Amino acid sequence: MSGSVLIAKEEWRQWLRSRLAVLSLIVFSVLLLFTTVLTMLDAQEARHARLHQQEQAEETFLNQPDRHPHRMVHYGHYVFRAPPPLAIFDPGVDAVTGQSLFLEGHRQNSAMFADARAEARTGGFGALTPAKLYHLFLPLLIIALGHGVILREREARTLGPLLSQGVSGTRLYRGKLLALGALIGLLSLPALFSSIAASVSGESLLAGLTLYFGNVLYLGIWAALTLLVSVVTRSRGVALGVLSAAWVLTVLVIPRIGVTSASVALPTEGKILTDMRMNDDLRKLGDGHNAADPAFAALQANLLEQYGVETVDELPVNFRGIVASKSEEELTETLNAYAEKRMERERAQAAHLSAYGWMSPYLAIGGASRNLAGTDLDTHHRFLREAETVRFDFVQGLNEAHIGKLSYIDDINRNNGEEGNRRARIDAANWQVLNDFTFTPDPASDRLRRAMSKLLALALWFLGLLSMGLLAARRLTP
Amino acid sequence: MRNEFRFMLRDRAVWVWLSLAFIFSVAAVTLGLYEVSQQRAEITELTQLDQVEREVTLSDQSDWGSAAYYTFHITYDAPSDFAFAAMGQRDVSPWKHRIRMLALEGQIYETDANNPDFALIGRFDFAFIASLIAPLLVILLLFDLRSGEQVAGRLRLIEASVGNPKKLWRMRAGLRTGALAIALCLPVSIGGLMSGASVSALAFCVAAVCLYLAFWTAVTLWFTPATRTGAYNLTIMLGVWLLICAVIPATLTQVIERVVPLPDGGEIVLTQREAVNDAWDVPREATYDPFIERHPEWADYTAWEEDGFEWKWYYAFQQVGDQTAQPLSQAYRAGQARRDEFAKWSSLISPATLLQRTMEHLAGTDMRAAIAYEQSVRDFHEKLREWYYPKMFKSEDFNADWAIGALPIFDPAAKTRTENSL
Repeated sequence: MSGSVLIAKEEWRQWLRSRLAVLSLIVFSVLLLFTTVLTMLDAQEARHARLHQQEQAEETFLNQPDRHPHRMVHYGHYVFRAPPPLAIFDPGVDAVTGQSLFLEGHRQNSAMFADARAEARTGGFGALTPAKLYHLFLPLLIIALGHGVILREREARTLGPLLSQGVSGTRLYRGKLLALGALIGLLSLPALFSSIAASVSGESLLAGLTLYFGNVLYLGIWAALTLLVSVVTRSRGVALGVLSAAWVLTVLVIPRIGVTSASVALPTEGKILTDMRMNDDLRKLGDGHNAADPAFAALQANLLEQYGVETVDELPVNFRGIVASKSEEELTETLNAYAEKRMERERAQAAHLSAYGWMSPYLAIGGASRNLAGTDLDTHHRFLREAETVRFDFVQGLNEAHIGKLSYIDDINRNNGEEGNRRARIDAANWQVLNDFTFTPDPASDRLRRAMSKLLALALWFLGLLSMGLLAARRLTP
Repeated sequence: MRNEFRFMLRDRAVWVWLSLAFIFSVAAVTLGLYEVSQQRAEITELTQLDQVEREVTLSDQSDWGSAAYYTFHITYDAPSDFAFAAMGQRDVSPWKHRIRMLALEGQIYETDANNPDFALIGRFDFAFIASLIAPLLVILLLFDLRSGEQVAGRLRLIEASVGNPKKLWRMRAGLRTGALAIALCLPVSIGGLMSGASVSALAFCVAAVCLYLAFWTAVTLWFTPATRTGAYNLTIMLGVWLLICAVIPATLTQVIERVVPLPDGGEIVLTQREAVNDAWDVPREATYDPFIERHPEWADYTAWEEDGFEWKWYYAFQQVGDQTAQPLSQAYRAGQARRDEFAKWSSLISPATLLQRTMEHLAGTDMRAAIAYEQSVRDFHEKLREWYYPKMFKSEDFNADWAIGALPIFDPAAKTRTENSL
């Protein structure tokens, strides 16, 4: 083993003597540090702001004056998704989905004001985040520094003497791998910092460390590939060409081809088109604002029979409230059915895309990283579902008050002058139907489970490349 | 020259990179054309459904107020004939809306978003190939041009055998870049002609790509002297690529974002919602005063004819809701435009940005186009109001059959006019 350490040390000595290598190391370290700190500050600020906005939204809702309960249904409420602690490493889908959602009766809105929409269009790869640096660009540094580890010896004609002095190809390989491993260890320190910083602000250490090791594993794949190419090719130019091509394909091309393939194979309908189709279904349900809608005739007949009265005026409950509640319930069923269908489709697309992860480690680590950080599609879907629960609960809570706290007679006379208007209001204490909303990431174990297949793909890539490298190294000749 | 050409064709690596370029370009153009046809098909379906839905809904109504409440209108921004090359802002800004006469600020920010995972990874369109991958191909074609000959020991011989070695290297590099330009631009030109894009847009695009490749050729030649090894040169060039194609654009985005802060978009919707909801509880004059300020022609029609709910008042406070949110909304749009203006000027120091923006401009998928489309939606909404107000304020008789044919319909050409006037 000590032989390998010596070889690794020698490699580092070589790197440190090369101005180019030192310069690249410094540039990347500075980039990493800057991005880590900036992303952390941004995420923390966003988290703070959204928690505050959530509190404010709740306060505003509760502080509304006495009103007709249905007015509060339309007044609506806001929910915000605060970024999870690990968003300081990988903000994930946050920037493209938007993080605030307006909740109101009768409809499910989409999240508005995604940051990406108002971003200045400057081309390139968009804003840098630590995750992006690790996944997209650090492989380039590993390629640049690592492609020559064996080839340098070959080109300097030191490979022959080394091998003839009894340093086996395998040991040489181990030594060079150790050198690259140390490089990765050094480069991944900011990621370790991010995951520890996240655990300080409440994130599970397990998720953070898995995220860290996932990234180390991903960089390890690039190190193993670089080493393999360095063993089997005869010139540094060719090695660099092969490695750059591998990088372009797996990082830039295959992922985007995967996206296109997923959207062609499993096309989604736009929300507007879905809404319009849904409208056909909804028309059959009747309009909840109009208790005279024929769709509610059966409901009315049942109620009259149940209470043994002749007209809706005589009912001990507010019939308009019952209609509102009933129609919200049916409507929500339809809305949820469509929303679930849409989310199901998006998940199928995501699964289709992850299948490309076996071809592109970049896709695998990107997916795993978002899974672990709690900034993935599934988390976004859960946010939508939880927001929907909040929406349905407060709307039905208000409808409950509409049924029990407001008499039918007062209700139908609500537009009857100032006095009628005043009588058709209920006490603001009824606004307490709103539940607190705090969106928290899934438990670490769930996130790990989601990331597992991608981490497995990464491990297989690593082991495959490693064993191919070892095999090639055993047969290493000058 | 002919010899040089034959010499180039004998290089296996050249063939690999050129065919990759060609395959990428063909794939990007095909996928782009497919996407555009999908979007067009969706628009056709939307407008058809929209017409049917409006007829059904209108025939169920009995007054102008509920007609305006229940009928929606589709507005859309159809992709241009060149949009296949650069989807640009269309991937993040909405290009279709379904609006009605309620306060617009509550409706216009609805985004019909795609799978967020897709948006994160990005699209494989020609603009991506041209601005980010093509430079890498230039580098891979040229980095070993001189150093390779040096290693083979032929450099001196070659330089001595021609009068002007610089000219020779420029010619060799030019030939390779030229071949790359053809491999990239041929598919996009054919795709463009097939889709009916204007020849001038195509020519401009090809010229921009050629200039961009020429820039990268010059940079590569500058940074890859024969005195260094090919590996060293390639490493340096990968760094230059990273700087120009990733770090500089990302830094510009960050700087622009900080220099031009935008008002929180959520505030706009919040303000509008508070104004609209408060209107139920405040005296009617509080609604009518600001409304009449905008629409003095209705000053004599605000009397309450019946002691109850009145649609004209309802829509008046919807408009007042928009008016209240207007300063914020305008600040948001002005901020977007200002950011875009900054990005435009900053692209002078960032070639990758410049090419990307040029393509998006040619494709009508840039921020300006998105802003123009949003403005055309606002104008249409305004038209809708102007159409309904006389019917409500003058209590005209409701006539569904007539309304179906007479209601304003969104004119997609309005966007172009707006864009030209921006």
